[in-house]
Amino acid sequence: MGQAKETWKKTLLIVAMLAPALLITIGIVIYPIINTVINSFVDAETGAPTLRYYTYLFTDELARDHIVYTLWIAVLTVAISMILAYLLALYLRFSDTKISKTIGTLYLLPRFIPNLVTIYAVMTIVRDSGLINRIFMAFGVNFKPGLLFNSKGVIMMNVIFNIPFATMIIVAALSGISESIVESARDVGASRFRVFFQMILPLSFKDVMIAMVFIFMSNISSFTTPYLIGRNHPLLLGVYLRKTFANREYNLAAAISVVIFLFSAVSAFVYLYTNLKEKDWESRAPQ
Amino acid sequence: MDETIKLEIRNMTKLYKNGDGVKNINLKVRKGELMTLLGPSGCGKTTILRTIGGFLQCNAGEILIDGKNIVAMPPEKRPTAMVFQSYNLWPHMTVYDNLAFGLKLRKIPKPEIAERIADALKLVKMEGMEKKYPNQMSGGQQQRVAIARSLLLKPEVLLLDEPFSALDAKIRMQMREELRKIQTDLDITVVFVTHDQEEAMALSDVTVVMNKGSVEQIGSPYEIYHHPASRYVADFIGEMNFIEAKLGVHTAIRPENITVRKGPGGDLDGTVRNIMMLGHYTEMIVDTELGLIKAFLSGGEAEEFVRGEAVSLYFSETKEFSE
Ligand SMILES: Nc1ncnc2c1ncn2[C@@H]1O[C@H](COP(=O)(O)OP(=O)(O)OP(=O)(O)O)[C@@H](O)[C@H]1O
Ligand SMILES: [Mg+2]
Repeated sequence: MGQAKETWKKTLLIVAMLAPALLITIGIVIYPIINTVINSFVDAETGAPTLRYYTYLFTDELARDHIVYTLWIAVLTVAISMILAYLLALYLRFSDTKISKTIGTLYLLPRFIPNLVTIYAVMTIVRDSGLINRIFMAFGVNFKPGLLFNSKGVIMMNVIFNIPFATMIIVAALSGISESIVESARDVGASRFRVFFQMILPLSFKDVMIAMVFIFMSNISSFTTPYLIGRNHPLLLGVYLRKTFANREYNLAAAISVVIFLFSAVSAFVYLYTNLKEKDWESRAPQ
Repeated sequence: MDETIKLEIRNMTKLYKNGDGVKNINLKVRKGELMTLLGPSGCGKTTILRTIGGFLQCNAGEILIDGKNIVAMPPEKRPTAMVFQSYNLWPHMTVYDNLAFGLKLRKIPKPEIAERIADALKLVKMEGMEKKYPNQMSGGQQQRVAIARSLLLKPEVLLLDEPFSALDAKIRMQMREELRKIQTDLDITVVFVTHDQEEAMALSDVTVVMNKGSVEQIGSPYEIYHHPASRYVADFIGEMNFIEAKLGVHTAIRPENITVRKGPGGDLDGTVRNIMMLGHYTEMIVDTELGLIKAFLSGGEAEEFVRGEAVSLYFSETKEFSE
């Protein structure tokens, strides 16, 4: 009996210790999420249930521009980052020089600089009157990079931010592919090109998918970069959300949040699917 | 056997950054010949094989196949096929796809690929394993698939890096015989790496004994065994007694070249220290003034002796190495 009482006490203690964290989580994460979802279906004026905010987002031409534009920027960012990161990772993995080793130890460092700092630093360089412009001016050429306040600039910044992370994931995947796999493929006559498409790519496919999902997710809801150097129309959803919020269109803002959330949820699903689905060849040998 | 030289290595040196590697290697392998590289772990066997396959650039020297220098060619252009020490099958491909990969690259029609794969699998006793992935097979099975994969391509020079190391004694024997058969049937030139002297003796036309990155002796298994060129080779191959009768001169006698008689008066006298039955022969250790000597006797001969008995040793074949 005493034993049971002890266990009871322990359980109570654990609950008591967990309670604050649990309450905070419910209070500042789960409750607002539920609240947001509900609000997005409620008419601000009448308080009646409605789909008008979603209808607006997906049918109004201007609003739809924002969504399409956001997806477009995210997809381009993912594609460009992945290609550049894969090339960098291949170089880091298969080149054995001092330069590649140095890059290998340094490439993650930019991740430790706050985004805001990086953005301002890059702005001073690529601004139409910035460093690049001044260097060209010294040679008598008035070259303007034209990278600010348009899509090119946003994508460039996104790519800069995402390359270290993507490279890290791919480097890890590539170091799991032993040299000997490449060697035996070349031994039977495969060109480097074929080795890449039939050995290296399939063997790192899963990690590539995972990196893509993460980059997509973080860019679908990005705010700082487009807010600082993006253009005025169309807007990325994060900036659009802030604008509607500033206009006190809270229910429309809620609907935008839900849309952003849904895009993330789809990518999360892709992530779980690729990560959980184990192919025959990936499972450990029964031994 | 054909007298034309298929593979020749001239003055080849390959040193790794840390200074390890192989130096001044000179080898000639005739067409259809099986050469083994034999030596202890770390002596540079794999290094030589990898320079032939094109996976290592040599620092100096030439590698010729049919008289053509192939040093500048990438592995995929060389007429060689290699079975790696770690067998490395491609993990994301089934056995069938592993075997088909090289054939597809050579644009061989599908039905022929299927036929050749079936034959190859039969050869290595792996029928019915087509759909398995490497991680679903034991080390020995993977090794056999790797051997089949290389044989399928009918290379001019086949490079094998301890290809039977993961196999049990029985399959190993079978595979040796199979390899010999395939090799003579297809007239392939083979360089075979092993650290197992018995395997080298059983398989080779020519054996290369290596020591710390250089060649100690090249010869037929008979020559290597009966006429070792150095004390190192004599010691490394088979069992050998060394006695220092004169200062700085070591006489080498194989245990099977010693006759034991009762009483004194032989080339060397001593007392029986131990007698051990080892199956079809008996090993006798004799305590002499020049150290312990090992002799092999047939089972019947050994019966006559007891421990502690005074005996005389007669040497029928000796070799001297001076320091
Ligand atoms: N990539 C490398 N970098 C530096 N040193 C190496 C490298 N590969 C091998 N070595 C060294 O070169 C020497 C020869 O190695 P090698 O692999 O050729 O030996 P081996 O005769 O095949 O041995 P084993 O029977 O153990 O396979 C060894 O001393 C080894 O430590
Ligand atoms: Mg080796």
